[in-house]
Amino acid sequence: MDWISFFENWIWFGCAATGFAILFNVPKRTLIAIFFMGALGGSVKLLIVHWNNSVVLGTLLGAAIIGFLSIYAAHFRHSPPFVFAIPAVIPMVPGSYAYNTMKGIIRLTNNTGTADFVALLNETVTKGLLTLFVLMAIAVGVVAPMLLTRRDSAKEIKVPLPHFKQEKTAKEK
Amino acid sequence: MNAHKPRVIGALLLEIGALLMGSGANTNRVRLTIGRIAKSYGFKVDFLITHRAIMLTLNDKNQHFFSEIKQTYASVPNFKMVSGISKLSWRIVEEKPPLDTVWNEIERLKGLSPYPRIIVLSTVALACSSFCRLAGGNFTEMLMVFVASFCGLFVKQELSKKKVNPYFSVFLASFITTMLCGGVGFWYPYEHDNMTFVTSILYLIPGIPLINSMSDILDGNSLNGMMRAVNGLVISFAIASGLLIAILIFNVA
Repeated sequence: MDWISFFENWIWFGCAATGFAILFNVPKRTLIAIFFMGALGGSVKLLIVHWNNSVVLGTLLGAAIIGFLSIYAAHFRHSPPFVFAIPAVIPMVPGSYAYNTMKGIIRLTNNTGTADFVALLNETVTKGLLTLFVLMAIAVGVVAPMLLTRRDSAKEIKVPLPHFKQEKTAKEK
Repeated sequence: MNAHKPRVIGALLLEIGALLMGSGANTNRVRLTIGRIAKSYGFKVDFLITHRAIMLTLNDKNQHFFSEIKQTYASVPNFKMVSGISKLSWRIVEEKPPLDTVWNEIERLKGLSPYPRIIVLSTVALACSSFCRLAGGNFTEMLMVFVASFCGLFVKQELSKKKVNPYFSVFLASFITTMLCGGVGFWYPYEHDNMTFVTSILYLIPGIPLINSMSDILDGNSLNGMMRAVNGLVISFAIASGLLIAILIFNVA
């Protein structure tokens, strides 16, 4: 694997996540966290796709990492976890698969021969199912920490915070 | 704390629920926030949340009850609002501030200015060109994608200011974006035609409806999940139809 292009992709994933964060009007204090989470999740996905050639598994793990990091970020930056998680996972949304599915469906409406039709149907259905499963993997990955810890709110999940923060919360209580 | 009338608290809860639903929070968050605030004021609350309206009944210990329906606000993603209301709800639970303070805070959150338009346009366009780069495009194509999605988003914002049907404005934005990409490619052909087409419209993808629909279904709010999924699908269909018309015009393989 080419490490320079890997690092470059890291930056592009971060830029894409930040762009969507600004489109969704997130608080300013969360932008840096979103950049790094988007970059990290995206590069985990790339690594796993490179290693295992499975987009669905890669997306699931990438989204799960973003999901767990969003809990930490929520405690540090005082926003709900999904404010971090949704912009950060947007770069993983399978745009090109969805495009190919739609294009395939339109082509299927043409009156083609049986052999062509079966080949095209095969490709279209594969791309369509991939789109669906990647989307499901994103959603499951993002809510994974909530499902695993069985808590209603991220505030109830204990995370190891730096010393001064613990003191402050103890005083507030 | 002095007891509040159910009417006053009911209006506050409905306002908060409607704001959250309109800013792109998932149903579980709306449910938890309303329940948390009502509990801290000592009321029992039952409610029905749908995409368009919230129906709520409050009961207090003296058999007084209050019931009202409120329309949710138009759906514009605004995570500043979600974040602010989340903080506000914890403040209500922990400090029990007077109601005036709570309403002032809500008004302040409503009045928060969004990012400057030029920054929104350019960062979103940069995001689309990042997608182009990730898909393997070169720098010329990135520039093209940047310009196309910049113009497309501008058109979409103008249309939503004029209250055009949201699906139609997505369709038009997608069509204009891909026409720009295809038009330039027609005169100066670049290496990967498909790539610019696919990546330049990615700013339109309905990320919030699709992800929220899945998380709603996982939380057991199946009906709301279905509504959001249908919304996401129709947006995807609008994007695809704008794209496909441009593809037919330029005849890209």
